[in-house]
Amino acid sequence: MSSLKAAYLNELYKISKRKKIVVAAILSVAAIGIAGLIVSSLKNFAGINVVGSSEFAILVLSVLNYTLLPLFTAFICIDMFSSEFVEQTIKMTLTRPVSRFLVYLSKVLAAATFILANLLFVMLLSLILSVMIGGSQLSLSDVIGAYLSSFFPLMVLALMVMFIANLTRGTVSAFMLSVLVYIVFLGLGFFWPNAESFFFTSTLDWYILFTGTFVNVQKIFRLSLILLGYGIALFSAGYALFDRRQI
Amino acid sequence: MDPAIVISQLSKQYKNKRGITDLNIEVARGEVYGFLGPNGAGKTTAMKVMTGLMSPDSGDVYINGYSITERYPLAMAGVGCIIESVAMFPYLTARDNMRMCARFYDGIDDKRIDECLELTGMLRFKNEKIRNYSLGMRQRMGIALAILSRPSVLILDEPLNGLDVEGMVEMRRLIGRLAEEEQTTFFISSHLIHDVELTCTKVGILYEGRLLAEAGMDEVLANYSSLENYYLSEVDDNVKPESGVSQRAV
Repeated sequence: MSSLKAAYLNELYKISKRKKIVVAAILSVAAIGIAGLIVSSLKNFAGINVVGSSEFAILVLSVLNYTLLPLFTAFICIDMFSSEFVEQTIKMTLTRPVSRFLVYLSKVLAAATFILANLLFVMLLSLILSVMIGGSQLSLSDVIGAYLSSFFPLMVLALMVMFIANLTRGTVSAFMLSVLVYIVFLGLGFFWPNAESFFFTSTLDWYILFTGTFVNVQKIFRLSLILLGYGIALFSAGYALFDRRQI
Repeated sequence: MDPAIVISQLSKQYKNKRGITDLNIEVARGEVYGFLGPNGAGKTTAMKVMTGLMSPDSGDVYINGYSITERYPLAMAGVGCIIESVAMFPYLTARDNMRMCARFYDGIDDKRIDECLELTGMLRFKNEKIRNYSLGMRQRMGIALAILSRPSVLILDEPLNGLDVEGMVEMRRLIGRLAEEEQTTFFISSHLIHDVELTCTKVGILYEGRLLAEAGMDEVLANYSSLENYYLSEVDDNVKPESGVSQRAV
């Protein structure tokens, strides 16, 4: 397990040193700041109370969950695979005494850590901003539950991007194909609502199920199984491709 | 004593039919093996398979007795390598790159990192990002990374590429010292035939994916005026005329 720990720490270190992480933080702050400004202005100058304090954090999540969070996740996953293969830096890890499975697993764990950290950063930021906006209907535990539950669909998205990054050769092709698949899944869910729950993108807003007084356990269980199925299938397929890659 | 490296019936073919065919090589512990051959002969392919970057079509490689295809982490535990080009993260400093490698081994601390950087003349540049390095500096860093874990086997693909004269002399000395004092085994490919002659104790000639000849350096120099003459003679004697232009004519 020491080699897994070494590979995992290296992945986290590389992520932390990438400029993309600074850009992600700046964009997140800007997006949340603009949202806070709009909500605050509407309340103070037009007298329109759009959301309460905790609901502001959920409003931010509802927007970022479909935009910046998947985008940053995709960037990080493509960096981990496509960029490293294109720049041949992957050789530095693969020629160490560590199996390819552990290298792949360390990258998956690092992506999971990034997603979790990103969600927590956005949550804290939106909660701090929401202090300025009065009137709360949701509890803090609802907000934390909503943000933590958002981790799972984003993780499945990360596994999908990793799979695509190992399927394609370049960084641009990996990104374009990932965006295309994401849009197709969203579109299929929209135009084919009966089968919507079979597309993991429909679970990007499943955090709603974790807020409020009524918790639909049956639906949460069903969607959890679908996410788990996607996760196992994409993890296995991604690893199979990674294991066969020749450098 | 068991050989440090055993390449057994190794084959790897690309779609363009190039690659290596039925390669059999044994390298004894402490030996400095020079792997010679023209461009496209399959030297890098063989080295990529030896370090697990490529999977073989058939055959296997054993390093310190461990199969590279079946027990990869154990086989690579005692290996340091440079394959094709030096792999480092350009947005990190030399020290950061070294520290990331060090995490995979026990007992490699900052002192050892500085020692390797000192040995390769890179200590004063350790806090500079790799993207600002010249080709020669990157090559020196590659050697520092390769020796970091005190490996018993070093597989080096063109290790002297881009080095200045001083650098080449320093590296030759380093290789000689490690082989003699620490019984480190070297498997080196190089186009610089004069350096191979000065550094290696045994040579193998790879031509169109096949091992044409193998001989100890003492034997080569006893029978030929230089390694270059031995190389050209073996290629001329063993390669069919349709395979290419006579090397002697060139």
